[in-house]
Amino acid sequence: MTDTPTTNTPMLRSQDIDGALLEVDDLHVHFASRGKLFGTTPPPVKAVNGVSFSIAPEKTFGLVGESGSGKSTVARAILQLVDIQSGTIRLAGDDVTKVPPRDELDFRKNVQAVLQDPFSSLNQVHQTRTIVGDGITRHYGTKAGAARDERVGLLLDAVGLSCEFLDRYPYEMSGGQRQRISIARALAVEPRLIIADEATSALDVSIQSQVINVLRRIQDDSGVSFLFIAHDLEVVKHVSHDLGVMYLGYLVEKGDANAIYDAPTHPYTEMLIASIPMPDPVVQAARRELRQTFEDDAEPPSPANLPPGCPFENRCPVAMDICREVMPEPTPAHHGGDVRCHLHTSGPELAGESVVEFIKTKAQSKLSGSQRSNDKSSAQ
Amino acid sequence: MSESELEPTIEETPPPKADSPRQRFWKRMVRNPLALFSMVWFVILIVSWVWPELLATHDPFKQDVTLQRLFEGPSGDHWLGTDGLGRDHYSRVVFGAGFAFRSIFIAMTIAIGIGVPIGLFSGWRGGRIDRAIMWVNDVLFSLPIILLAMAVIIILTPSLTNAMIGVGIAMATRFVRLTRGVTLAEKEELYVDAARITGISVPRILARYIAPNLLPSLIVQAAIISGAIILIGATLSFLGIGASLDDPDWGVMLNRARPDFRREGIWQIMPSGGALVLTVLAFNLLGDAIRDAIGRDASSNALTITKRVSVAAASTSHAEGDDLVISVRDMDVEFPSAKGPVSEILNGVSFEVRAGETLGVVGESGSGKSMTMLSALGLTPAPGRMTRGSVNFLGEDVTNLTEKAWQSIRGKEVGVIFQEPIAVLNPAMKVGAQIMEPLRIHMGMSKAEARTRAVELLTEVRVPDPARRLDQYPHEFSGGMAQRVGIAMALACEPKLLIADEPSTALDVTVQGQILDLLAEIQTRRNMAIILITHDLGVIAEAADRVLVMYGGQVMETGSVEDVFFRPKHPYTKALLDTMPQNHSGDGELAVIAGIVPQPTAWPTGCRFAPRCVHATDSCTSTMPPLLTVNTDVVRCLRHGEEGFDLAQPASGTEVLS
Ligand SMILES: Nc1ncnc2c1ncn2[C@@H]1O[C@H](COP(=O)(O)OP(=O)(O)OP(=O)(O)O)[C@@H](O)[C@H]1O
Ligand code: SF4
Ligand code: SF4
Ligand SMILES: [Mg+2]
Repeated sequence: MTDTPTTNTPMLRSQDIDGALLEVDDLHVHFASRGKLFGTTPPPVKAVNGVSFSIAPEKTFGLVGESGSGKSTVARAILQLVDIQSGTIRLAGDDVTKVPPRDELDFRKNVQAVLQDPFSSLNQVHQTRTIVGDGITRHYGTKAGAARDERVGLLLDAVGLSCEFLDRYPYEMSGGQRQRISIARALAVEPRLIIADEATSALDVSIQSQVINVLRRIQDDSGVSFLFIAHDLEVVKHVSHDLGVMYLGYLVEKGDANAIYDAPTHPYTEMLIASIPMPDPVVQAARRELRQTFEDDAEPPSPANLPPGCPFENRCPVAMDICREVMPEPTPAHHGGDVRCHLHTSGPELAGESVVEFIKTKAQSKLSGSQRSNDKSSAQ
Repeated sequence: MSESELEPTIEETPPPKADSPRQRFWKRMVRNPLALFSMVWFVILIVSWVWPELLATHDPFKQDVTLQRLFEGPSGDHWLGTDGLGRDHYSRVVFGAGFAFRSIFIAMTIAIGIGVPIGLFSGWRGGRIDRAIMWVNDVLFSLPIILLAMAVIIILTPSLTNAMIGVGIAMATRFVRLTRGVTLAEKEELYVDAARITGISVPRILARYIAPNLLPSLIVQAAIISGAIILIGATLSFLGIGASLDDPDWGVMLNRARPDFRREGIWQIMPSGGALVLTVLAFNLLGDAIRDAIGRDASSNALTITKRVSVAAASTSHAEGDDLVISVRDMDVEFPSAKGPVSEILNGVSFEVRAGETLGVVGESGSGKSMTMLSALGLTPAPGRMTRGSVNFLGEDVTNLTEKAWQSIRGKEVGVIFQEPIAVLNPAMKVGAQIMEPLRIHMGMSKAEARTRAVELLTEVRVPDPARRLDQYPHEFSGGMAQRVGIAMALACEPKLLIADEPSTALDVTVQGQILDLLAEIQTRRNMAIILITHDLGVIAEAADRVLVMYGGQVMETGSVEDVFFRPKHPYTKALLDTMPQNHSGDGELAVIAGIVPQPTAWPTGCRFAPRCVHATDSCTSTMPPLLTVNTDVVRCLRHGEEGFDLAQPASGTEVLS
């Protein structure tokens, strides 16, 4: 991809960035509830609450969380697709919180995205050559034609598709193929950051692995950074260097991906890990027991009506009194990042260490406690 | 980045191109007799419009006031007779087509030229501006069209052109509505986000991305409105405020025939009236036909069940035992296709499930998992049909059962839960009523009994506060809670067999665990058989007792859950296990299964997995492997049992691929 015309990119002052490529600082996004013409407007949905993280050049930051936790909204805020309440977003040191129209083209050239649904994220009326080529025309001025097709062909090559796909329409392709077309489209403008929002979630595991390999290979070759969003922690851990865990709009834990996976410091992270089904009946039987320490049928609170304390409190097996009243602030954790949980400063004062053992002991004592109460009730 | 480094090991080439929607559209149009009629009629009209002299036999203005030439009936010279001034009806009708099309052209240009941009703008902007525009539009919309046309004529001068300007403005409101609706919907589509991310400007997004998606409905609407425009034009001319009184306009002709028709008989209004009626009809038929031809096949969405034909018996016998719930032997299912040969969706599928047992069915999408279960229960979607095999359900042969007999069995003995719980619930109906309905129909319960039972069921699936939840609507349920309702509904009639088709795929992992636990708990309590369809081997590992691995519409292997995970017999099973990120250690590339699942219209010859199998040899690509029985299980692989063949050593057969 050395043969493409390079435009000067004033937004990125230098090719070698000293600090982070992307910095998100204290991001808040609220959605006004659809007000009626008359009457009181209901409270806004607080989709993102004080999220901060950064992505280093050539690195992948993974974002996980349940549906509705605000992952996509973070992505859409960075992509300028939703209005934000407060906070700042920086790209290579430049403020891109709200990109003015005259800089938009420049911004779009640096930040691209691969979106979730391989069926609706491609326009059904266009062929691959247009879907992938449009960005090239837009950013490099190469008009539709043989030269642009050749370039699109190289991009298809990079994502493991033959040139015969040039004149295919989206409905003529499988889900995995479409998703690779989406990746080729994002690559076409040679961005510095690609945001992949559930880019592999709709695919079969075998195909998902193909797409993930393509993403990693591209990172090795071009040094692009990724913000990789998915609900599957196993997949996110595999592709990410750093990891953030979201719950109800809060980033409850962030740090080194493998370290978090091996020794989570937030009860919710532990719950997510315990919920991943393992393809091994013996291992899974053990996981299932671990998972059941969390099992309660409580539903998460509504993002339009968040409790004053920790939002995970009603599902947390180790919640304390303070959790109901005070929202925990981020404190440093062993994996180099931080965690929002009172366990690290009150109660057992874990001080940023793993929460796994504590939950296990707590669950065991709770189990024997409930057995005792069962015995009591049967005795009556 | 250099290209050579990026080259992946296997590059995919697409399957042969199918019919494009355009080809499909025209095929359907020609096959529809009404559409054909209207298209032929339009060809005639268009020729009359661009080259009337070709069709006309007389000068339409030439009068012939000799007495015997007035009000003539049809004759060899005047095919459709003459009018009160001795002019040739037929030729005037031919020339009239030009007036009709000119009216349509003027009014449509204005209607689309004004309506579509306003609709695009309004829909894209949304919010207050949109509301204001739509308010004005609705006011204009509610005014009678003729009134607007008259207003323009009064302001300007009476002429057909000016009248059509008024009609165009009135019709623009229809296009504003249509365009805005489509824009509002398309705006939310991911591909529009994708275009914005690419940096495409808004006008360009509207023109290149949204407008093409608008086109089909626009054409349909335009066809129907064209019919209306002709009628309105004719009405205005008939009233004397449209075309000039000498012109061969159909409305004028009607007007001129009016005083004569009582004296001279009905014939006088037939030529112009007939042309008018036929044209309006043709426009409406064309609109309908286009809509039908664009629309999806109804049969592919609705679950219409094929009429039963007698099915060739299976060659192997059923398993035995009192606890056998369902047993399927050697089932083939075929779908006829419009062009070419029938495609065989399922081939030689056999399995059985016993009471209290969970059979996990696993395979990539398109491998035939759902079709297997539908067909086993007599639900093969039309036009497919089961052509071979036999099915035993609760000890009875149900292979050739009528649909009616099946219905009563399915209603009582089989429960089904689906991937999208919300989609199964009717959004307009309270959840309680939906649970109670089958109880009242199949179990004959009274309303009060059904309600008590519904509360019990919701309690059984651990929905908190069940009595209150019964009176809520589906949108008040989260995905996990909705799936619990789905399970409660499936359990309502105490089924012996529960089929769960990807019951947890659409749910969060944390909720997925709860649902699997719930199913296990209910199974123990009721000693129910469960068939669990999923593409997630982790779910299989947790919940299944026995496993059926499917690929390409065939059973690849069966086995106990331990066998399948620790001692897989088939290369496909092994490959599936290897692709799980959980089974991947280290930082290198994830294992993949190269290539894609084949289409039923193009099964590979020989082993269907051969093009993707790392163990494939030459004979694999020519010989279809038979289903081998191994103890109580089966496997479909030519190399099974071959001396020294080891699934853990992929190197042994890779020469074919490289
Ligand atoms: N345009 C909008 N208007 C109102 N509320 C919204 C809007 N978009 C998102 N939300 C709400 O914001 C919250 C976060 O949503 P978001 O889509 O970011 O979640 P997610 O983690 O990506 O979920 P999923 O895994 O389902 O994609 C949810 O409560 C959602 O309902
Ligand atoms: S703050 Fe309290 S409730 Fe929240 S996760 Fe930590 S221990 Fe649980
Ligand atoms: S028959 Fe051959 S191609 Fe098919 S699975 Fe066995 S080894 Fe692979
Ligand atoms: Mg999302």
